[in-house]
Amino acid sequence: MSGSLVARTAASRRREREAEDPGAPLLETTGLTKRFGGVTAVDSLDLTVGRREALGVIGPNGAGKSTLIGLLNGAHRPTSGTIRIAGRDVTGAPPHAIARLGIGRTHQVPQPFAQMTVLENLMLGRLYAGEPASFSDADRDCRAILERTGLGAQAETPAGRLPLLSLKRLELARALALGPRLLLLDEIGAGLIEAELAELIALVQELKRDVESILIVEHVLDVIQECCDRVVVLDWGKKLVEGSPSQVLADPQVAAVYLGTGSASAERRRLAGARAGEGALLSVEGIGASYDTFRALRDVTFAVEPGEVVALLGANGAGKTTTARVLSGMLRADAGSVTFKGTRIDGRSPHEIVRLGLVHCMEGRRIFADLTVEENLLLGGRNAASKAERATRLGRVYELFDVLAMKRNDSGATLSGGQQQMLAIGRALMADPELVIFDEISLGLAPVVVDQLYGALAELNERGVTMVIIEQNVERGLALANHVHVLERGAVALSGTPDELRGDPRVRALYVGEARGEA
Amino acid sequence: MSPALTLARGRGLASRGGRRAAAGAAFLVLGLVLATLPTFASDYTVLVGYRVLEYAALAQAWNLLAGYGGLVSLGSAAFIGIGSYATAEITIHSGVPLVPAMLGSGAAAAAFAVIVSVPLFRLRGLYFAIGTLTLAEALRIWMVNWNGFGGASGQFLTDTAPGNHEIYYLSLVVLALATALVAGVLRTRLGVGLRAVRDNEDVAQEMGLSTFRTKLWAFALAASVMGAVGGMQAARLSAIEPYGAFNLQWTIDIVNIAIVGGLGTIAGPLAGAAFVIILGELLADYPELHVAITGAILIAVIRFAPRGLWGTLAGAGLPAPLRLLARRRG
Repeated sequence: MSGSLVARTAASRRREREAEDPGAPLLETTGLTKRFGGVTAVDSLDLTVGRREALGVIGPNGAGKSTLIGLLNGAHRPTSGTIRIAGRDVTGAPPHAIARLGIGRTHQVPQPFAQMTVLENLMLGRLYAGEPASFSDADRDCRAILERTGLGAQAETPAGRLPLLSLKRLELARALALGPRLLLLDEIGAGLIEAELAELIALVQELKRDVESILIVEHVLDVIQECCDRVVVLDWGKKLVEGSPSQVLADPQVAAVYLGTGSASAERRRLAGARAGEGALLSVEGIGASYDTFRALRDVTFAVEPGEVVALLGANGAGKTTTARVLSGMLRADAGSVTFKGTRIDGRSPHEIVRLGLVHCMEGRRIFADLTVEENLLLGGRNAASKAERATRLGRVYELFDVLAMKRNDSGATLSGGQQQMLAIGRALMADPELVIFDEISLGLAPVVVDQLYGALAELNERGVTMVIIEQNVERGLALANHVHVLERGAVALSGTPDELRGDPRVRALYVGEARGEA
Repeated sequence: MSPALTLARGRGLASRGGRRAAAGAAFLVLGLVLATLPTFASDYTVLVGYRVLEYAALAQAWNLLAGYGGLVSLGSAAFIGIGSYATAEITIHSGVPLVPAMLGSGAAAAAFAVIVSVPLFRLRGLYFAIGTLTLAEALRIWMVNWNGFGGASGQFLTDTAPGNHEIYYLSLVVLALATALVAGVLRTRLGVGLRAVRDNEDVAQEMGLSTFRTKLWAFALAASVMGAVGGMQAARLSAIEPYGAFNLQWTIDIVNIAIVGGLGTIAGPLAGAAFVIILGELLADYPELHVAITGAILIAVIRFAPRGLWGTLAGAGLPAPLRLLARRRG
């Protein structure tokens, strides 16, 4: 049985290679588009990866980078447009067929086969997608890859027990096991510390010698600078700039995309808040938290005074959302303490924390699409003592966002992205909170809509609602906040008032990573 | 007895080879006892032994699906029922002896698995479980109401039923083959692919594996074993009727035995079958207690020893379908 399977794979491989055009670029997309519901994640993208080229793809959170990788390896089906590999149209081919053509990918969040050994994780790709081989040959090849990627000693360890850096290596090793011509690397640098990054960069540079082409999606710009021949910047799923790494990173447009444009001068006034000395409403002391083996928070400490707006800033993976999840009880801290209104709340369950008056308006909106706008809101007001109280709160939300009042009987699914975000904010307010955590409310929204949302936040703050806002868009965060804390790799790296931080080159460096003496 | 034996030896011998030798020795002793059981044991013991072996073979087939492939099928009764009917029809109409008829049963059940795989494999996880359960129940109700193959009252087989010793040895061979099949599959590319599908189906596909084909192989192989056991059961009873052959109790017992024994382990199904069947015999006079105790044990195993009796003793990794159940809050 296994003999015939091997023969079939060998023959089909030969046939596949014959159907290719050796002169064509290894990868070429034309008009590639992907829509999820109403959101266009990738928008008519023309992209080429040449033979023997390493292409970097960068862009802010939500720019469509990971979707692009999913499209290229067949995990997502394009809405329109074509994908060609070596001149051959592979649009709509399933992931296993793409893998067999020699396209290997890594995942931003490592996805090992947790119960299988590290070696077995590699064997799979080697046996199913690589050049046909006997079990013992495959075993030998995979062990060689493990040696190269520094996992040789862990060959027999169950993959689920590896620490993060090793899991990142495993992602790479597993992609190499299928003998790729094109590697798609999705944020291999995210969440790693300096020394680990240097190791990974060296590894990728070494790989460039035997893998024909590489596409690198990355937030850590050091990796892009050190490894790529050419860089494409995505914003809103479209190509914004293209060029050599040094050209692109020096481009003012690119900096604007990452840091946000300061269109919010109207909000830039000092808000009433920050009645100093009154004692903190919320105080966070040295919290730490992990996802499995990944240490997402190492040591986060800050305090929020009543009436104040505190902004948590930082690059992707810095620990902002994890902090919010710990505060709202969604994730348990394994170190430190969280005190709200004088009560320890770490270890309490989310509904108890909401009843105390701390509400988390989550990233990604998470409205109930099948319920009407009003039903969505009423769900948020379940802690109200009476019907009348609930109606009062509903009125306040409708006053803040009149478009929600107009659409009160429409289902959540009919709302635009901005309206959905308003609904999510409104639902948080229905609990009549003293403190709200707003997590990335500007994500994926047009600037004009973000202006509206931030206008509403300013109004809320004037009414006395204390806020923690989490933002990728630095300028937005600085405009509204009384205090700013910048997170980096799970700890507070910088703190200060917006004015202190606005001019600080270190803020820019944390995002754009150009501290390497360029500007 | 044998799990404890292996454990004791496994602890004493640190090296991998030593542990392997200990397992081999334990296996040999176990094989000898099983092979010679009818020569010294009572008829009652031999019949209990038959039931243990029969259920161990069924649980082994399910183990390939659920323990190694993560495919929690609740449709076992359908394949057993089809196997029962196939052997009955073949022996009644063609005069073919039991063993080739059982092969026919295996083929019929596997063919059914192939046919239903297309809609079923569109479902994953719990939905797949519910889908297979619904399918098996629908088939049972169909067989009860349809007039073919004897209708609701069933029919008698024309061949003489095999004797106690005969059926015991037949079941021993079936279990040995089922175990060899599962152990063999685990050494092939399919075995690696199946476990990858269990751990992460999407990523497995990104590594070049056609998940449909991989799951279909496991589904058809497991179905063929269940079908053959169904055929053996029909011969043992010398009669078939839809209520028994397609009874949901088959499905439940198999799940119970596989989980208690230890999913994703080769020896788990036999350990589980021995434990559950012998416990059932000991409590035979207290039917109401029997169900309650079996339930309590299943809950206790899932909560405190999710790797099952064998898995806990042998210190194997936690099987995927149980991780969900076993995971603590937070």
